[in-house]
Amino acid sequence: MLSSDKHVFRDMLFRDAGHGYDEFGFHPETARWGVKVLAPLYNTYFRVKGHETDRIPQEGPAILAANHAGMLPVDAIMLSLDVFANTAPARWPRASMDHFVPLMPFVGTFFSRCGAVAGSRGNFGRLLDAGELVTAFPEGVPGIQKPIWKRYELQEWRVGHCELAIRHSAPIVPVGIIGSEEQWPQVGHINSIKPFGAPYLPIPISPVPLPVRIHIHYGEPIPLHEDYAPDKSDDPAVLAEAAARVKGAVQELIIKGLEERQGLFR
Amino acid sequence: MTVVLLTGVTTPLGTALAKALVEDSDIQLVIGVGVERTPPAQPASDSFIYESWDLGKERNIRRMLFGSCRERGVTHVVHSALHRSPLHEGGHVHRLNVESTRHLLRFCERHPTIRRFVFRSDVEVYRHDHLHPTLLREDQPLELSVAAKQRVRDRVEADLTICTRMGMSSLSICVLRMAEVLAPESGSQLHDWLLSRIAIRPLGYNPMFNLLSLEDAVAALIAAIKGEAQGVFNIPGFDSLPLKRLAELAGVRPVALPGPMLSPLYRWRERVRKTEFTYEMNDGRFHTSDLLDGTRAQKELGYEPQHGIDFSHLKRR
Repeated sequence: MLSSDKHVFRDMLFRDAGHGYDEFGFHPETARWGVKVLAPLYNTYFRVKGHETDRIPQEGPAILAANHAGMLPVDAIMLSLDVFANTAPARWPRASMDHFVPLMPFVGTFFSRCGAVAGSRGNFGRLLDAGELVTAFPEGVPGIQKPIWKRYELQEWRVGHCELAIRHSAPIVPVGIIGSEEQWPQVGHINSIKPFGAPYLPIPISPVPLPVRIHIHYGEPIPLHEDYAPDKSDDPAVLAEAAARVKGAVQELIIKGLEERQGLFR
Repeated sequence: MTVVLLTGVTTPLGTALAKALVEDSDIQLVIGVGVERTPPAQPASDSFIYESWDLGKERNIRRMLFGSCRERGVTHVVHSALHRSPLHEGGHVHRLNVESTRHLLRFCERHPTIRRFVFRSDVEVYRHDHLHPTLLREDQPLELSVAAKQRVRDRVEADLTICTRMGMSSLSICVLRMAEVLAPESGSQLHDWLLSRIAIRPLGYNPMFNLLSLEDAVAALIAAIKGEAQGVFNIPGFDSLPLKRLAELAGVRPVALPGPMLSPLYRWRERVRKTEFTYEMNDGRFHTSDLLDGTRAQKELGYEPQHGIDFSHLKRR
């Protein structure tokens, strides 16, 4: 159950850097306020349902690797809220932001106060070493850029999350998010307009996201660090093989989720 | 026997370090060097000697090192004499910042008694780029852009001058890249920013800052003097907080204005009030968070920040 109670936030992992913020700018009080504001979206608007939530590691470092789509990062927000709702003591996953997001006024600051970090190896390595749960969207910008007719077609799957998983001994939990790829479809984008450093200006079909039901399917954790020694984290062949394994697992979850889904809004 | 030569002793950090070294039983003698004929404050102790030298001149450095320093058997050199104000530019500033550093290092390598060289560098040498991790490690790119102010360019050049001798020199070399020391007369841009009643920041941005207290800066320098570790070390401070919160704690009213208005406003402030805060030098860090990753200093020097900034001191100004 999604809770914004103070004690839930008090019990979760938080490394205060001295003034109520961690070194990345995470501020649990802002996150609590964010949960309060976003709870209606999670509970009522998108009616998010988590499947096999017992596969979310309850402690220790781990990477949640999911498919990515949508004009706004609704998938990342709903995934974070779902993990928060289904772990005890609550875990607050640290989401990765594309490099242009921290440069966006208000948005970048708000996201970092809610625990998101700029997606760089250095940031993620630090979080994993501290035992945090991080979310990664290996498709990156091409994932959110794809048009509606390419929904659930996984784009080129980057390998950075596998490198980090091997180097920092963190299992990867594959995640298939169903519904997020239809919630705010785009008909195209204007590449010549780059608002606040964003790679393009999207042209959405609807002015607001559609109330599509979001199903989040968690897969069995993949312990890459048990199969590959840390020194293999720089080997391109190993990383390509590991990334293909994770991509395959996410693809399977998507196929299963689409088969089980009884309708766009159900 | 440990005899320390300390340049820049008349700065707040230099004075605090001299006092701490004098009280340290492992240190036999501290020679403080400043350009002023009489220092503003110096530790009253037999184990402290003040010498006035203009380090902008090569012959002075030679005379100092091979004169009184040889007689007294200096073993360690802590170099922190860099020009503080970004408003002063030109050849004489460059001579002090870069050329004196180069000469000092060269003469120390030839010196019969000096065996360790500690250089105080700072966070300004790193390039601000949103593509970098929030926590900067020692291998992050340095600010080598042609648009950088002389103060930054000089610091990068001095830092690199020292770094290029690592591994080739007979000296044991240690470079400390310190977070900003929030204290008056320390060259702190943020301290100057907080001198107004209203602190203007870019609308929509509230990046994180890490600040170093004088006590922790002194502790890091002492750890470097006493340690054997060589290389470059980031020295973060105890306080990590957003810009807006910093202004509030300092008793200053933070006002957010659209970014394009800030540069002309601060230029006007610089001219009218003769302040040292230069927006061009701070534009990057007023938009994205850049903090120092102190893992290496913790592992190899045993340094860990322990003292927060006394913000009430800022409020009382």
